[in-house]
Amino acid sequence: MSDRIIIQIQGLTKIYKGSEEPAIKSISLDIYQDEIFGLLGPNGAGKTTTLSILCGLFAPNEGTVHIDGLDTASQLRKIKRIIGVVPQEVALYPTLTAIENLTFFGNMYNLKGNFLRERIMERLKVFGLERFAKKKVNTFSGGMARRLNLIAGLLHDPKLVFLDEPTVGIDVQSRIVILNYLHEINKMGTTIIYTSHYMEEAENLCSRVAIMDRGIIISIGNPKELVAEHPEFKNLENLFLALTGKDLRD
Amino acid sequence: MFKFLSAARKELLLLLRDRAGLAVLFIMPMALIILMSLFQEIGWGTVVMESRIKILFVNNDRDTLGMNIEKGLRSSSYFMLIDSIKSKRVTKESAREAVKNGDYLIAIVIPDGVTRSIRTNVRIMVTNTLAGFGLYKQQMVGNLSLKRNDTITILFDPTIKSSFKSAVVSSIREYNYRIENEMMFSIFNQEIARQFPMYKPPKIDYKEAMTFKEEFPSFRQVEKMPNTVQHNVPAWTIFAMFFIVIPLTSSLIKEREEGSLFRLLSMPVSYIELMLAKCSVYFFICMIQCALMILSGMFFLPLFHIPRLEIGDQFFPLFLIATSTALAALGFGLMIGTVATTHQQAAAFGSVSIVILGAMGGIWVPIFLMPQIMQQVASFSPLNWSLHGFYSIFIRGGSFIHILPQTLKLLLFFLITVLISFIYRQIKSPIKK
Repeated sequence: MSDRIIIQIQGLTKIYKGSEEPAIKSISLDIYQDEIFGLLGPNGAGKTTTLSILCGLFAPNEGTVHIDGLDTASQLRKIKRIIGVVPQEVALYPTLTAIENLTFFGNMYNLKGNFLRERIMERLKVFGLERFAKKKVNTFSGGMARRLNLIAGLLHDPKLVFLDEPTVGIDVQSRIVILNYLHEINKMGTTIIYTSHYMEEAENLCSRVAIMDRGIIISIGNPKELVAEHPEFKNLENLFLALTGKDLRD
Repeated sequence: MFKFLSAARKELLLLLRDRAGLAVLFIMPMALIILMSLFQEIGWGTVVMESRIKILFVNNDRDTLGMNIEKGLRSSSYFMLIDSIKSKRVTKESAREAVKNGDYLIAIVIPDGVTRSIRTNVRIMVTNTLAGFGLYKQQMVGNLSLKRNDTITILFDPTIKSSFKSAVVSSIREYNYRIENEMMFSIFNQEIARQFPMYKPPKIDYKEAMTFKEEFPSFRQVEKMPNTVQHNVPAWTIFAMFFIVIPLTSSLIKEREEGSLFRLLSMPVSYIELMLAKCSVYFFICMIQCALMILSGMFFLPLFHIPRLEIGDQFFPLFLIATSTALAALGFGLMIGTVATTHQQAAAFGSVSIVILGAMGGIWVPIFLMPQIMQQVASFSPLNWSLHGFYSIFIRGGSFIHILPQTLKLLLFFLITVLISFIYRQIKSPIKK
């Protein structure tokens, strides 16, 4: 992990219109280059809102965000060129083929021609989808669609990747392929910001995690160190439950 | 430009793979044009006897007036005279009963002796007139006074339209006047011949002194007979063009609901560029729709023995009104797609609003048949502005200047709807929280 801060968040607050409670309250956080940083929390903790603000999709009510030294309030276009986003939903066009989807999303990053075609085929091969390159996405299984969803967000080799629960609802094989790939690109210098409900997965994957609840960060650090600091808990999941409680969330 | 073209290509692929959407855009309006034109042509044409209105006819006169009314109505292409029900001759009572029961809409009862009464009255008028010349002895004229004519009874079903009622009454009144005139000339001649044996009455051919010529004034002095096709083709074309709202809103909401918009907005491409690409494709589809509908009116409808659509030679104004109609439809779709929160909401509101705007704007029923208040309401429908523009070109041979008001209204509608979408998007985030 480098000492260079790639994301600097200061006093971030977001209140949605019509809502009295802020979705996130005065969050401050530094994320370092080459990190795999996990944002963990129960439903409604504020993970997706934080991620959306970092991607420039929402403007915060208060606070600032700097990504790679660029201010999200004024230099969003430049920021969008260096980030990759993998949404929680399979954000693809179901009636387009895998190649058509990837070509379109690649084009949005100004990737074109043979370079793009070769990049698409290479990634499809890595994720075991080359046989399905010309198949429509609506014929894909859940795992295949998730893998393609990931490729679409990483096609332009971004410096920084935001992943919103990328392994939710998929088979073990697909999960392994995805997590291995994330490890691989992280080794090559990509910073990964990742949200998940799977504590074991986060514990193994992330260099640091922030546990969020009700719009605030309640704990932050290396997952193994966090568990070690609280010997009464066997693993991150137990610690997480102790910090966030066992009440059901909406 | 590269991103714009790529986004446009993606939209086109999505549209081409949506077969149901394509059917709504192309097959539905084509079917509507053919069916509506066929129905209206049959309804008002002279082809099918069954479409004539049945009239119960009781002729107790059996003389000139009764026979003339009967002959006139029988020769009309709109009426079919019925003088017996279940092999029984219709009487005044049975006719009243049949209309009361709703079996027939109209019954005409010509009373016995009505021609005789007219003849007597005419003779009295002629005698009185000639008495002024001293041709008759005073005591002979003194006893002559006009008799009250017998009454022709017309029985109407209460549901019948007042305009149609007036048309029937006017026709019968016309026959009556004609008979009276003919009798008057004939009796005059007879009386003069009686008084002056040397007088030889001329052979009078009772031709109408005044004839009527129907003309349809147009801007370009081109005689063009308005017909159902000149209304139906532009009307249903406009309707179909506005139906672009359904696939457009569906595409906008799907993108939002399925998360593609979330991904796209995180990419280095502007929302405006994406919307422009989307709208360009839908605009292109609208223009293809318009061209296909017009071409089908010109070359396909005649295959069904429906008159050919005459489009005149004002191609630039035609392109202009089609363009502004397409833009108005796109603006409307963009607005609904932005404001609606679910696909169902957009589909329901989109389709119902177009049907209402269409009905208001004279797509279903021409404006002149509507009550005054509805005619005023119609002037608020963008479909009506467009229809007026097409009428100006197809029926009145209008040029650029004649369609300018409608074009400006449609463009203003487009700007307002786009502005509403833009403001709404600024206030409310287009992506799910």
